Amino acid sequence: MEATKSKSVKHVPTYCYNCVSGPDFMTVKVVDGVATEVEPNFAAENVHPAKGRVCVKAYGLVQKTYNPNRILSPMKRTNPKKGRDQDPGFVPISWDEALDMLADKLKATRAKGVLDESGVPRLAASFGHGGTPAMYMGTFPAFLSAWGPIDYSFGSGQGVKCVHSEHLYGEFWHRAFTVAGDTPSARYVISLGANVESSGGPCAVTRHAEARTRGYKRVQVEPHLSVTGACSAEWVPIRPKTDPAFMFALIHVLLIEHKLDELDVPFLRDRTSSPYLVGPDGLYLRDAASRKPLLWDTVSGKAVPFDTAGAVPALSGKFPVSGAVSVDADDEVREAGSVEGVTAFTKLVEHIEKYSPEWASGVCDVPAANIRRIANEYLENASVGATTVIDGVTLPLRPVAVILGKSVNNGWGAFECCWARTVLAVLVGALENPGGTLGTTVRLNRPHDNRHKSVLPGEDGFMAQKFNATDKANWAVKPTGRNMHKTLVPIVGNTAWSQALGPTQLAWMFQREQPSADMPKPTLPDVWIIYRTNPAISFWETQTLVKTIATFPFTVAFAYTVDETNYMADLLLPEATDLESAQMIRVGGTKFMEQFWDHKGVALRQKAVDAQGDTRDFTWITTELAKRMGLLEQYNDAINRGAAGVSPLKGADYDFSLDPKAEHTPEVIWDAVCRAATTSLSEGRETRDLAWFKEHGFYTVPMSRLEWYLSPTMEKQGLRYELPYQERLLRVGRELRNRLHENKMAWWDHQLSEYVALPEWHDVPGRWDAALVNAGAKVEDYPLWLLASKSMQYHAGGNVGIELMAEVSRNIRGHDGVIMNAKTAARYGIAEGDRIEVRSHIGATYGAAVLVQGVRPDTLVILGQFDHWAQPFAKDLDRPSLNTIAPMSLELTDATGSGSDIVKVQVRKMEGHTEATA
Amino acid sequence: MTRYVTTIDLRRCVGCQTCTAACKGANATPPGIQWRRVLDIETGEFPDVRRTFLPMACMHCANPPCEEVCPTKATTRRADGLVAIDYDLCIGCANCVMACPYDARSIVHAAHFSYGDQPLPSEAKGFDPARVAVSMKCSFCVDRIDEAAITGRIPGVHPEVTPACVNSCISGAMEFGDIEDPESNVSQLLARTQHYRMHEELGTEPGVYYIWNQS
Repeated sequence: MEATKSKSVKHVPTYCYNCVSGPDFMTVKVVDGVATEVEPNFAAENVHPAKGRVCVKAYGLVQKTYNPNRILSPMKRTNPKKGRDQDPGFVPISWDEALDMLADKLKATRAKGVLDESGVPRLAASFGHGGTPAMYMGTFPAFLSAWGPIDYSFGSGQGVKCVHSEHLYGEFWHRAFTVAGDTPSARYVISLGANVESSGGPCAVTRHAEARTRGYKRVQVEPHLSVTGACSAEWVPIRPKTDPAFMFALIHVLLIEHKLDELDVPFLRDRTSSPYLVGPDGLYLRDAASRKPLLWDTVSGKAVPFDTAGAVPALSGKFPVSGAVSVDADDEVREAGSVEGVTAFTKLVEHIEKYSPEWASGVCDVPAANIRRIANEYLENASVGATTVIDGVTLPLRPVAVILGKSVNNGWGAFECCWARTVLAVLVGALENPGGTLGTTVRLNRPHDNRHKSVLPGEDGFMAQKFNATDKANWAVKPTGRNMHKTLVPIVGNTAWSQALGPTQLAWMFQREQPSADMPKPTLPDVWIIYRTNPAISFWETQTLVKTIATFPFTVAFAYTVDETNYMADLLLPEATDLESAQMIRVGGTKFMEQFWDHKGVALRQKAVDAQGDTRDFTWITTELAKRMGLLEQYNDAINRGAAGVSPLKGADYDFSLDPKAEHTPEVIWDAVCRAATTSLSEGRETRDLAWFKEHGFYTVPMSRLEWYLSPTMEKQGLRYELPYQERLLRVGRELRNRLHENKMAWWDHQLSEYVALPEWHDVPGRWDAALVNAGAKVEDYPLWLLASKSMQYHAGGNVGIELMAEVSRNIRGHDGVIMNAKTAARYGIAEGDRIEVRSHIGATYGAAVLVQGVRPDTLVILGQFDHWAQPFAKDLDRPSLNTIAPMSLELTDATGSGSDIVKVQVRKMEGHTEATA
Repeated sequence: MTRYVTTIDLRRCVGCQTCTAACKGANATPPGIQWRRVLDIETGEFPDVRRTFLPMACMHCANPPCEEVCPTKATTRRADGLVAIDYDLCIGCANCVMACPYDARSIVHAAHFSYGDQPLPSEAKGFDPARVAVSMKCSFCVDRIDEAAITGRIPGVHPEVTPACVNSCISGAMEFGDIEDPESNVSQLLARTQHYRMHEELGTEPGVYYIWNQS
C-alpha cells in the first residue's frame, strides 16, 4: 500500500449532539470524498462558549462512519426463537421488502386500534440518552406524532442513569429540568457527585477551566476522586448515599450558627414561601373565605392573605391566628380555631436544628469541622447584598452554587438532596440569580426553548404546576402506559417527556413480576421501535432484562451494528448516520447542562460524505414509511407544525409549509426548515436556505444574559418559589395514598413516605442493607459499595464499538477494570491488574483491579456501561459493568420512580487469571 | 530567530484525551501509537490524594538527546525549534526511543489498522508507508508550520497553521507560538504565569512549558 495524493479537500461544518451536553460545532475534513478528520469549527468561536470545539467523542465519528461492523443494508430475522442463546439469523433484504414488512405490521396493528385491550398503546418506542436520538432521526418525530398514542415507558436507563429527581423537583421548584451553577460568575461551588468534567460537555469544561484560572473554588464531595474531583480545589470523600445528611448540616450552620441578617432576608421574605404561616396540623393556615395562605403582616400586626397589598411579611416567628382554615388532601377543609401560626421559615429552623455538623459527621464520615468550614465558605462567598448590572438591569450577585450528580440525584435520598440544594440557594438569594444555582431548560413544562414562558401564576402565589391528578374524579386508576406514570407519580405530569421520565424501570419490573397478586401482568406492545438505545446493556439487572426483551413479539431497530438489544429484533433498518445525513438543531438559548449561551440559533448537521452501503437518510426512511402507511398527509402536517424540530414551517409573518399531500425529499424538507428557522429567529429580517447552511453551518442571533435567570421573571409576576416548606407535596402525597388504598394498592406505601413538608434523614444507605436481608442475603456478605461513574469518552456516545475510544480511554484510569482502594485490595490479597469478581446478591461482573488511593476504602467504582456480549468489538473489550449486578427493586425505588446507581457487593480475586484481560 | 513552543496550563487540563484523539486523526497514527497523550497521575495517600492530568508529547528540545544519538542524522533540530525526523534517513534503530527522557517516540514494524489488517477508507487516505519501521513522534504538525511560512499566517494565532492538539483543546489549556517574539501569545502568557519545563535538570531545554499558577 502506498500513500495516495489527495485531489480535493473540503471542510464541512456540522454539529455533534451525541450527548445532551451539546450540541457543539465541528467541521469534517473530507479528502476525495472520504471523511478523514474531525476538527473544531472556529467560525463559531465567538458564539459558542466552547469556542467551536467538540469533545473527544466526536473525534470517533470518522471511525463510526467506516466501522466494518456496521449494518449496511436492511436485515430480517430468520430465527423465530429469541434469546441470548439464539442466533437471530439476520439476512439482508431490500429496502422495499423491509419497509413493506414494517408498514404491513404497523397497519395491522393500527387496524386493531392504537390502544390495546388494557388501554395502553400497542406501539412502544424507546430512544436513548436524553432526547439526543431525536436530533439524528430526521423527521421521524413527525411520523410518531402522526401515529398517535405511543408508549415510551420502556426506558433505557431513565431514572437510574440520569439526574432524575432534579428533573422532576428542579422543574417543580424553579423550572430546572437540569441545574447548573452560573459558572462564568461563580466564586464557590459545592459539587456533590456532579462530574461535569466528564459529562458536562465542552461548554462546561471550558467554563470551569476559565473559572479555575480566575480563582473560583470548587469542593467536590463524592466517594471517589473523579476527573472532576481531580480538577477541584478540595475533595471530600463522603460515605455513599449520605449526601442529604451533609447538606442538612450545611443548612444547619447557615440557620443555627449565623444571624438571620447574614442571609438574604428580602429574597426569603418576598420570593419564597418562608413567611407563610403553618398551623398545628402541618398545613398552611388559610383565609377562610379565599383559602389563600396567610402570613403575618408586620404593618397591620395581623395575619393576612399572602397577596395583601402593602403587607410586609414577618419572616420568622410564631403568631396567634384565629378563624383560619387549613385545606388537606381531597379538599378537606378544617377550621383551625385559635391557634399559633408558625412561619414556614421558623418551621425550617426548628426542623434543621438537630442536623448539626457533629451529627452529620457520624453519618457521612466527614469531619464536622470540614462541614462547618464549607458552609461558612459558602455563606461568605455568597456576598449577600452585592449586586451586578446585566444589560442595564441591576440584579443580586450571589456567586455560589450547589450542583448534584447522578447517584446523588436519583433513588432514595435524592428528594432530600434536591430540596437541600435548592434551600441552600434560597437562603442566600442565589436561586436563579447571577452567580448562583440556575435551571437551564425545561422538558416537563413548555415551551422547551424558553423556560421563562413556562412561568405562569398558579395557586397560593406559586408557579402553576401540571401535576397528574390525584383527586378522586380524575386520578388515573387505569394506567395509560406500562410504567403507570400518571397513576404513581403526580409530579412528573403528562406532557411529551413525562412518560419517559416516569418510573421507566417499573415498565421492565412489572413485566417480570407484579407487586400484588391482583395486578394483571401488563400487556406487551405489538410493535416496539428502538433507536440509539441499548437497554440490555444500559439499564439494570441486564441478564433478566434481556429475557424480557426477547418476549416482545415484534421489534424493529434502527440499527448501526448488532447489539445486545437489537439481537432480539425482527427487523434491522440501518440509517445513514452522523456524517452521512441531514438535520437541523437548536443551539444556545436554554438547553441541558451548561449550554446557556449569549447567542441562540440553529445549526445544520449535513451530509459530509456519501452514506456507506445501502444505509439511508432517516428522513427518507420516514417519508417512505408514512407513504406506505397512508399517513403522508398527517406526517406532513406534523412537519408543518414543527414536529421535525426547530420551528413551525408557518408563522405569523412567514409560510414555508410543505404541501401535505405530496411526498417530499429530505432536501426539500430541510430547506423549508432552514428558511422557517432563520426567518423566525431573525423576526423576519433574514431568510437562509439549505444551500446557505451547507456553506455556513449555523445561524445565531444575540441573546441577553438576562434570559439565564428566572428570578426577575418571578419578581415581575409577583410569584414565590415553593420553598422551603412543601405543603403541596404533603397534600398530594396524602391524596395519592387515599387513591391507592381505595384501590387496595399498598405496595407503593414506602414511596409515599417521601411526601413530607420538611425532609428528614432516614438512613438512606441502610435501605440497601434492608433490601439485602429482604432478598434473603446476609448484609455482612456484601460489605462494599459499587458505584458507576461516567466517562467523557463513552458518556452517551453509543460508541463502544469505536476502536479510537477504546484506545484513548485507556489513558484515563479505570476504563479497563474496577477502581479499588489499594489498602482494601491488600486486605483481599488483590494486586494491580488481578482479575477480580465483583458480586452482588443477583450476579457477578469481572474485570481487572485498578488500585488507587483516590477512592474510599468501602467503595468500588466502575466507569461507563460495558459487559457487552453481542456488539462487535465491544464484546471483546472484557470490561465490567455495574448494570449486570444492580437489581431492579421496588424496595429501592423512590417516589419519583427512580433508583440510585449503586449496589452492595463483595469482591474476590479470580485464581488463575492474574492479568488484566482487556 | 524563531522558536515555536507549546504552553500547557495544568490548572485547565481535564485529561479528556481530546488532544490525543485529534492528534491521531490529524496525523493518522496507527492503533496504539500516540504521539501525544495525557497522563493520569495520582499522588498522596487516602484521604489526602491529588490526581493530576499531565499532557505529554515530544518536547521539541533545544538540546534534544534524540538528535545526539541518531546515527544517520535523521533527527535534526530545525531553525524554528522543531525537532524533525527524515523518514528516508531513519533506519529504525531505536537509539532515539531509548534516549528520549519523555517517552515521546515510537516505532511500528508493520502496518496495522483499527479493525484488523485492512485500513478503513479514512486510514487508507492517511496511511504513509514511509512511517513503517522508522521512528516517529509529535512533529508539532510540521506541515501546518511549513504552510505558515508560505501563507504568512501565524502559528498559534491562525488555526489552519496551528497544531491539531492545540486547536482541539476544550479546556483552552494549550497555546502555541514563537517564544522568541516577546509579543507572541505564548511569551505574553508565560510572562504572567508561573511555569516549569519537564526534566530541565537534564539540560534538554524543552519547548513545552507547563503553567501551574499566576505570577
